[in-house]
Amino acid sequence: MFPWQKNKTEAIEKRKVRKISRNMKDNVAYIEEQYSFGVNFDFESRSLQGPAAKYHLFFYTTTVSTKQLNDDIIKPLLASKKPIPIDRIVTVSSLNSIKNMDDVEKGLNIGSVIIFQDGVAEGFEASIPDFKHRAIEKADNERTVKGPKDSFTESVTTNISMIRKKMPSKDLIVESIDVGVRPVDPVSLVYTRDLVNEKVLENIRNRIKKITVDNIRNVEVLEQFLEERPRSLFPTLLYTERPDNAANYVSEGFVVIMMDNSSSCLIAPMTIWGFFHSPEDIYLRWAFGNFSRIVRAMAYLITLFISAAYIAITNYHSQLVPIDLLLAIAASRERVPLPITFEVLLMEVAFELIREAGVRIPTPLGPTIGIVGALILGQAAVEANIVSPIVVILVALSGLSSFTAANYSINHTLRISRFLFIIAASFFGVLSLLGAITIWLTYVVSLNSFGVSYFSPATPHTKSSDGTYFRKLLKNVKWRPGYLKPKDMDKQ
Amino acid sequence: MKNPLLILCLFLLPLLLGGCFDQKELEEQAFIVSIGVDNTNQKGVFRFTFQIANPEVGNSASGTSANEPTQEVISVLGTDFLTATNAANATVAKQISLNQSRILIVSEKLARSTDFIYLMQSAPSTVDIKLNAQLVVSKEDAEKYIRHNKPQLESRPHKYYQYMLDRAKETGIIPDAPIVRYFQITEGDADLFIAPYTTTEEENPKFGEEDHYKAGEIPVNGKNQTQFMGSAVFKEGQMIGTLTGEETRFCLMFDSTLTQKDIIASYTDPVKPEFQVAGRLEINNVDVNVNYLKDKQSTIDVYVNYSLNVYAIPSTVNYMKNTEKQRLLEKSINKQIGERADNFIKKTQEEYRAQPFYWSLHVRSKFLNIPEYEKADWMNKVYPNAKVNIHLELRGLEFGKIMRESEIKEVRD
Repeated sequence: MFPWQKNKTEAIEKRKVRKISRNMKDNVAYIEEQYSFGVNFDFESRSLQGPAAKYHLFFYTTTVSTKQLNDDIIKPLLASKKPIPIDRIVTVSSLNSIKNMDDVEKGLNIGSVIIFQDGVAEGFEASIPDFKHRAIEKADNERTVKGPKDSFTESVTTNISMIRKKMPSKDLIVESIDVGVRPVDPVSLVYTRDLVNEKVLENIRNRIKKITVDNIRNVEVLEQFLEERPRSLFPTLLYTERPDNAANYVSEGFVVIMMDNSSSCLIAPMTIWGFFHSPEDIYLRWAFGNFSRIVRAMAYLITLFISAAYIAITNYHSQLVPIDLLLAIAASRERVPLPITFEVLLMEVAFELIREAGVRIPTPLGPTIGIVGALILGQAAVEANIVSPIVVILVALSGLSSFTAANYSINHTLRISRFLFIIAASFFGVLSLLGAITIWLTYVVSLNSFGVSYFSPATPHTKSSDGTYFRKLLKNVKWRPGYLKPKDMDKQ
Repeated sequence: MKNPLLILCLFLLPLLLGGCFDQKELEEQAFIVSIGVDNTNQKGVFRFTFQIANPEVGNSASGTSANEPTQEVISVLGTDFLTATNAANATVAKQISLNQSRILIVSEKLARSTDFIYLMQSAPSTVDIKLNAQLVVSKEDAEKYIRHNKPQLESRPHKYYQYMLDRAKETGIIPDAPIVRYFQITEGDADLFIAPYTTTEEENPKFGEEDHYKAGEIPVNGKNQTQFMGSAVFKEGQMIGTLTGEETRFCLMFDSTLTQKDIIASYTDPVKPEFQVAGRLEINNVDVNVNYLKDKQSTIDVYVNYSLNVYAIPSTVNYMKNTEKQRLLEKSINKQIGERADNFIKKTQEEYRAQPFYWSLHVRSKFLNIPEYEKADWMNKVYPNAKVNIHLELRGLEFGKIMRESEIKEVRD
């Protein structure tokens, strides 16, 4: 073990073993020193002289509810005329007895008030947290027209309450695992007890426990620690901000990973199909849902292959193009100085620039980007004979199609893969393009997500809802995903 | 496996060494729309005419020059297609690409010469030439034909050929003749190959029934004199004669491998023979049954189902409501078609001593093996002596939109 880690663990161990003393003055002095009282402006140390006993309260003014503190703790304490135990005076729903200083720290961190009574070797932790977080808002990144509109917010309690509301069942377990040391952050695993595969769950637990990093603040960071291949183009955890999506997955036997400070959750294990399925597919009627799947499937193919196919066909296989189109392309290229490959790459890079700028640009400046993007890069580039109009159409098409992806993580995968295919196609045309596709597919099939094959249930084929490509009528869906090996396969 | 960078370099090596081997930017290619071939005085040397499309014409992209011609026609001498494209590069700046040419025009003079089959041998081995390009025979020199052909409505030259051939094929006045069929039939050595016949020169035009023409005989007034009509007949890879539009239609009618969509033709009115009845004939189904008898006369039964949509009855005979007259009409049309068909088949048996209907397909199955089939000699022995029975059956008779003809007597009272 490294020396600095040793020091850290030692300090923690020391805190853990220090008991609360019968002498309140000792406790107060220790805590005030530990919490830099006086420097730490929002740390409050307050003594109360009640009619019957002397009390001392510690809390962070910024994390507790002032109203509850006044009404439910201070008022009753001051009003109690007899020296009865604190837990019979304080009218707070969550009140725990604490014995050592480690509990004091934990309590203070989660927004509790620590109450000491003079002459009692026991403290009380009254939980009245009031952490500020955003209200529940509409899902911005995964919009649906039909279906629930709420999205997760940056408070894990709110998020779990949203899932509980969707799945009111005693089998829904929210398990907490600590990760990191300074400070310790709890990770919540949400799963259905009678469905989840124990091996998968144990795998996830182990991986979380194995993380040795100082701190992990949110699931976005956690995701990268959990992944088997962090450098891979393909995400192996589904990142979603929709509680309905999370609840649907939980009821299939998947595990949802949540953390405070994240307005999304992770779903594991995940296959590639999960990234292409939208929760709306189920909410829409059978025909409409499948129609939107067809449209999306087309969009994926367009975004991956249209630019590459254009390069391959025009450069190497011009006999495949109908002569009218061929003449139109040739005419538009007559004055373009760049070879087709570079022309396409130029526009693709320009599109990536617009996209990146669009994400980062402050909202008031937003319209500018539209004008710059559309006018300068589209119209003017064509009029100046820098690129041919057909390439603008293709790049716009492939860029637009990449945003039909049901999940943002896969959007990057598609866009980066597209560049790989463009470069591949420019070497030997369709021959090298097919070679690249073969290697790409081989790689995807070889992936694993928490022990589940990335391409299942298509390959290896397992029993499932048969909704990989097209979804069935809901009443005909018989099985839970077999690749998860859930405890109960039968859905009906 | 120690150095991943080395492995990456090894992967990149074939790419760099390959170096875009076949790549050619589109604007660096000149697309040939049609190829014309004529023979010269020298044996084995041909005059190739290339019609090159100008991509900039007919394009709405801004900044294109409007005054360029739609096409460039150049003629060069060469021994085969590829050497000719090479020679043409002396004047054409771009690489000449034959892979978009959909039509190969051969002059009748060349087609009738023994050189023709040698020229064609180089076509399939020329990677660029598509084997579904149409083989067309022009009455005059192919070069002259290409230079004279000036379509008025189509701004791009390839459109004219495309529309012309497609439409003419639908009406059945010219056959579908991809180069690959030429090879199939020539190598099969059992049938006649027919190719569209065309010309830009009008020659003793006369009025006849709509399809009793060959190219050049149709009286058309207009700027463009190009005519596609009838077909050139090839026996063993060499042209031996021409067929009229009507005869070509029979070829298509009896050939189960080809289709024709609508034949508009006129027949003599059975009630008032001085008038004609015009209608659209549609072939529904063709069935050929060859009864091969060794050392005896074989019989070939051809069953043709067709329906007729009568458009014009100038005689104002009321066929619509009178079933008896309908039967009369049916019989008469069957007889007319049958007689003409019989005459044509007689012509093929006596004059060509082979048939252009690809009927050898139906006789092949009668033999156990190829040597037996070759011994029977379909082309020279069986067909010319066979008895051919045409069975025509009218399946549906319809009369345009109106239910009755005008009562001309009453109008003119």
